[in-house]
Amino acid sequence: MAGRVEIFWHLFVASAKTFLRDRTAVFFSFFLPLVIMLIFGVLNFGAAAELEVGVVDEAGTASSQGVITAFGQVPILTITEGSREDELAALEEGDRALVVVFPEGWELIPPGSDGFQPLTAFTNEATAQEGQTALLVVNAVVAQALVTAGGGSPEPLVVVEEVAGRDLGYIDFLVPGILGLTIMQLGLFSVAFGFVQLKTTGTLRRLFATPTSPNYFLGAQVSSRLLITIVQVLILLGVGIWFGVQLVGSIFVVLALSIVGSIVFLAMGFGVAGWAKNENQAAPVANLISLPMMFLSGSFFPREAMPEFLQQVTRFLPLTYLNDALRAVINDGAGLDVIGPDIIGLAVWAVISFVIATRLFKWE
Amino acid sequence: MSVAPNSTTGAPILVVRDLRKAYGSLQAVDGVSFEVREGEVFGILGPNGAGKTTTLEMIEGMRPIDGGTATVDGLDAGSEPRAVKARIGIQLQSSSFFDELNLTELLVLFGHLYHVQADAPALLEQVGLTEKAKARVRHLSGGQKQRFSIAAALVNDPRILFLDEPTTGLDPQARRHMWGLISEIRVRGHTVILTTHNMEEAEALCDRVAIMDAGKIVALDTPDKLINALLDRGFTKERRERLANLEDVFIDLTGHELRED
Repeated sequence: MAGRVEIFWHLFVASAKTFLRDRTAVFFSFFLPLVIMLIFGVLNFGAAAELEVGVVDEAGTASSQGVITAFGQVPILTITEGSREDELAALEEGDRALVVVFPEGWELIPPGSDGFQPLTAFTNEATAQEGQTALLVVNAVVAQALVTAGGGSPEPLVVVEEVAGRDLGYIDFLVPGILGLTIMQLGLFSVAFGFVQLKTTGTLRRLFATPTSPNYFLGAQVSSRLLITIVQVLILLGVGIWFGVQLVGSIFVVLALSIVGSIVFLAMGFGVAGWAKNENQAAPVANLISLPMMFLSGSFFPREAMPEFLQQVTRFLPLTYLNDALRAVINDGAGLDVIGPDIIGLAVWAVISFVIATRLFKWE
Repeated sequence: MSVAPNSTTGAPILVVRDLRKAYGSLQAVDGVSFEVREGEVFGILGPNGAGKTTTLEMIEGMRPIDGGTATVDGLDAGSEPRAVKARIGIQLQSSSFFDELNLTELLVLFGHLYHVQADAPALLEQVGLTEKAKARVRHLSGGQKQRFSIAAALVNDPRILFLDEPTTGLDPQARRHMWGLISEIRVRGHTVILTTHNMEEAEALCDRVAIMDAGKIVALDTPDKLINALLDRGFTKERRERLANLEDVFIDLTGHELRED
């Protein structure tokens, strides 16, 4: 019946407008994930940190300068030249992984020959691992310089061949996690708070005074939140791609997953909103549901980093299913066949949440 | 102030018979019966907790009826609450609307909930809120909010308008403005049923009043007849030869104009 569709449409527009004009809601659901992504994207925590090497050139010869220039050409080294005193102080403070000293009168001479002097290197016990790595690199550079200076071939001893492949950085890991997190937060909080507010202010009661069934209103509320979630997923994914994340799988599979995930958390949100009498009851319960998943479902860091028993428990959380599936699709191009078990997991959660929500729901 | 037409004519538009509602052991409404004629302004008076609001809610189809019947414009409120709601307008004691929509958007939305195209500008003009067409409800004063909720209750051109304590919490100017508005609404042919615990208001507006206490109607008649009956029983009050009261002083000093905020 056209009239019913029309009523539904107008309630849908009203509830979407109510959400989009509420600045706090928009900030927390749209901009916060965006800000998190920007911060992590710019900082790029996943990239291998460069090794800071301090150089003290007490020799000041052409050959010492030549070796120092060669250090500078190694991509993973950051070279700082300074006095012995300054560089050792920086090492103590952890600002250097290694300090290399070229002693006075140092020349590039092979060991065992006349006038040979070794370089001195200082490491800090606190950062021993980085110090050892830097030391290996420094040794190799000096050895290579010796070979070249002795008339040896300037060819490298080990030839590197790069395999064409995708460089999966932290941002690739993070973006699907942020998508999952946003879907959860939007479903859980926008409904839990928005709906409880309509309850406490009496807006719902006023709707009961009209001949339209409140179920229309519930349906409009759910579908407007679904649409907002889809728009949000597209925006975040767009920003992710702009940061260099590669969308290997199908965008439609990502959207389908987002909808399934959304339904789970919307049902939970309605359970909370339907049960709670006011915001003070809704807030702690919504947080109790979302906070553990925020950190245990692999949104920010891999679940593999957690103790074994915790991994076993957390793999059944709804956000874990959603994050794993989103990652499989976005990073590895998985299709519905691969993520099938995750979708089944989400479907089970959707049914559980829906049953609990309808049991707990109170209109007043 | 009330210009009641001959209130003994007109067919009953609302018939309430032995209405009952219990909350646990509390009999909130205990066998209430009355009739309201078309075009009448009917008041239900009584102290807080007398059962006024519960009675109204059962008639409006908003609360299940435990016993008795309420027939609204020929429809049974117990079995056809939706059909009843479609023909009446309801102003709730404290209702709120979607916070983020403006007045025009809200009236149009409410129109759709009744399957009608609401004429928002006309409704706003009727309640004196034309200038607030683009404002949000939360930015209105108390009196403006009440007038807006009357506009929202009028979107479906209801046969009966139910007003639950329409002037509670309003200052004297806003209250008198509301009285004027209710009189205009009755002149346009709507039947009005209102609750109040302001006796002056009941006297000024209502053709007939029912006085409720502890879930029962203890008296029902025109305000004049109720007062005369009391005097006939030999009631006397300490005589006061004043022809004005403090409210008259207040209105005289501060003017009749509405104060918004």
